[in-house]
Amino acid sequence: MSSSSTPAATKNAWVIEEFGTMIQKESEIPIAIPAVKVLTQAIQQSQATTIMGLQKELDEIINILKGCEYNTSISLSSVCSLFVRFVTRTSLDFPVFDDYKKTLIERGKQLSHRSSTARTKISQLADRFIRDGITILVHGYSRVALAVLINSHAQGKRFNVIVTESRPDSSGYKTALRLQSAGIQVKLIMDGAVSRFMDKVDYVLCGAEAIVENGGILNKVGTYQISIVAKAFKKPFYVAAESFKFTRTYPLNQTDVESIKNENVVGSPSICKTCSNLDKPESLTIDSPTLDYTPPSYITLLFTDLGVLTPSAVSDELIKLYN
Amino acid sequence: MDEINLETFILHLKRKVVAGSFHVSQKTAQVLRHYISISKWPNAKVIIDQIKSIGKRLIDAQPLEFCIGNIVRRVLFIIREEYITLKRNLPNLIRLDSSKNNLLTYEDPDTIDYSSHIPTLKSQVIEAIGELIEEMKGLHKNVAEHAIEHIHSNEIIMTFGCSRTVEQFLVEAARKRKFGVIVVESAPSLEGRKTALTLSKNPNIDVTLIPDSAIFALMSRVNKVIIGTHAVMANGGLIAPSGTHSLVVAAKYHSVPIVVCTGLYKLCPLYAYDQDTFNDFGSPGEYLKFQEAEYLVNVHSYNPSFDYIPPELVSLFITNNGGHNPSYIYRLLQEYYDPRDMLEDDDEDVNNNNNNNNNNSEISQK
Repeated sequence: MSSSSTPAATKNAWVIEEFGTMIQKESEIPIAIPAVKVLTQAIQQSQATTIMGLQKELDEIINILKGCEYNTSISLSSVCSLFVRFVTRTSLDFPVFDDYKKTLIERGKQLSHRSSTARTKISQLADRFIRDGITILVHGYSRVALAVLINSHAQGKRFNVIVTESRPDSSGYKTALRLQSAGIQVKLIMDGAVSRFMDKVDYVLCGAEAIVENGGILNKVGTYQISIVAKAFKKPFYVAAESFKFTRTYPLNQTDVESIKNENVVGSPSICKTCSNLDKPESLTIDSPTLDYTPPSYITLLFTDLGVLTPSAVSDELIKLYN
Repeated sequence: MDEINLETFILHLKRKVVAGSFHVSQKTAQVLRHYISISKWPNAKVIIDQIKSIGKRLIDAQPLEFCIGNIVRRVLFIIREEYITLKRNLPNLIRLDSSKNNLLTYEDPDTIDYSSHIPTLKSQVIEAIGELIEEMKGLHKNVAEHAIEHIHSNEIIMTFGCSRTVEQFLVEAARKRKFGVIVVESAPSLEGRKTALTLSKNPNIDVTLIPDSAIFALMSRVNKVIIGTHAVMANGGLIAPSGTHSLVVAAKYHSVPIVVCTGLYKLCPLYAYDQDTFNDFGSPGEYLKFQEAEYLVNVHSYNPSFDYIPPELVSLFITNNGGHNPSYIYRLLQEYYDPRDMLEDDDEDVNNNNNNNNNNSEISQK
């Protein structure tokens, strides 16, 4: 086996290179698009003559992708498993291998096209939820949520946005700047000030790193507590995310998040700068997780490119998918 | 002929000659069936576009009568379904996957071509709409069939307003069981009195009429709240006559289950975001006499027609195809409507423009 793996590794050297260049070229695109493109390309280049052979090659490439330094998001593994699922499922429909391969390539292209249009589609769907004069609370830096807000503003809607600072990486600052440059009224607040402002907020909107099987989400740390505050204030909590973020995992508590999170996903262990500058006794443990899990009962609706879904609709989609 | 039929119907809608969800839906289905059968159309695409533009005019005539839009969407869905089934039976055409909205079916719905000419389509569509009309006729009975499972002997049921579906539901249960019904008067329309009168004729139902203000006081002795609704929204929330929300909140406080009886034609693929999204103001004349108004010069008076009730307050929907949880509503939507037929304002501006032109020309003719 070891003799066969070495040529495979050199044979698949283009994968990381290709994946890396695609990501570097456009940092704004979701990671799923280059992943699907690489997988489609792999099928195109494949010398395999059987379905099993093709699937094995794909598995190797997926492992390379998952192990590479560019893998920064859970959605990579979910889009890969989606692709594999599709490959196995389609295998039953086509008795001739060449037809099968051709269909896969075509569908792969469609999938990457769909993923790239997903944000536009979500923006259109979510536009109906944005009314003049409302105030929306945004947490973290989500490109989908940003797309939704900027699109609605471009449609002529006038609304206010409150952005949380979103420590530890202070990504909320980036969100606020982006919104401000789009001409939207923004206010940046501390993470601890969420409940202080919640009575002024009409609803919460955030993105997601992954949507899990029960309709809950994994997202930037702090999302869970905001959802709890929103529920206490009886404010809707909306999530905007593309459908390739559907992940086949079922976290039961917060500790399960660690196991879902890919080891390669780089998380800075530091807290904020001010804290790290302080003298601290050696015995003081500092923990700074990057993600938390928000259970479905705290989520009102999810805006996805499959439509506006209730959390229970998500599990339905996933069951349909992997059944 | 069809144009006259359509125009009079629109006029009737505007003047509320035809009113009440049930009658409006029936009539809408009939008018659309008539239009489809009488007009000439070469393929499904043409008739879908025509029905869409007619649908928009009907909705504009009475925007808060959600069932008009629902029936139009059902009819469009029927046309699409029949077309695809017939087309699939034709040789040399691609097989279409029936599971809609799936992540793995990469059939882009927009790419389905509806322009093939299929001669049998018309009769099939007309027949299917006929089935829809029949289904609606039997709807109250179908809902009432579930009554025995939900109402037990000696229970106390609270109900609100005047809903034919609920009335028949209670009457059906009373054939086998004896129970009490507390009817809320439902100010300002006072329609609850009508319900109380109808139910009181049944020897097995012990009817009590109460004012709206007594809801909370009596809730502790109620076993179940059974209400009707004006519309069911896509998330499982309700648009119901105003006053219903306070009833439902009182029931929630006492952990009394809230059962909503409704026909599926009231299922609406739109989202209500808050109390103002879909609401209407009625005349304050229902509770404030015109003669008294002069003493109340500095008083504002509002009479909102509807309440939006969020889905988490509803325990169960009983529909003509069985009982459903509010979180299951989205599934029913997928079964009955096509996502392309949302019929919202920003859908197709071209159609709107055509409509406006049509309307203008009609006005100038008059």
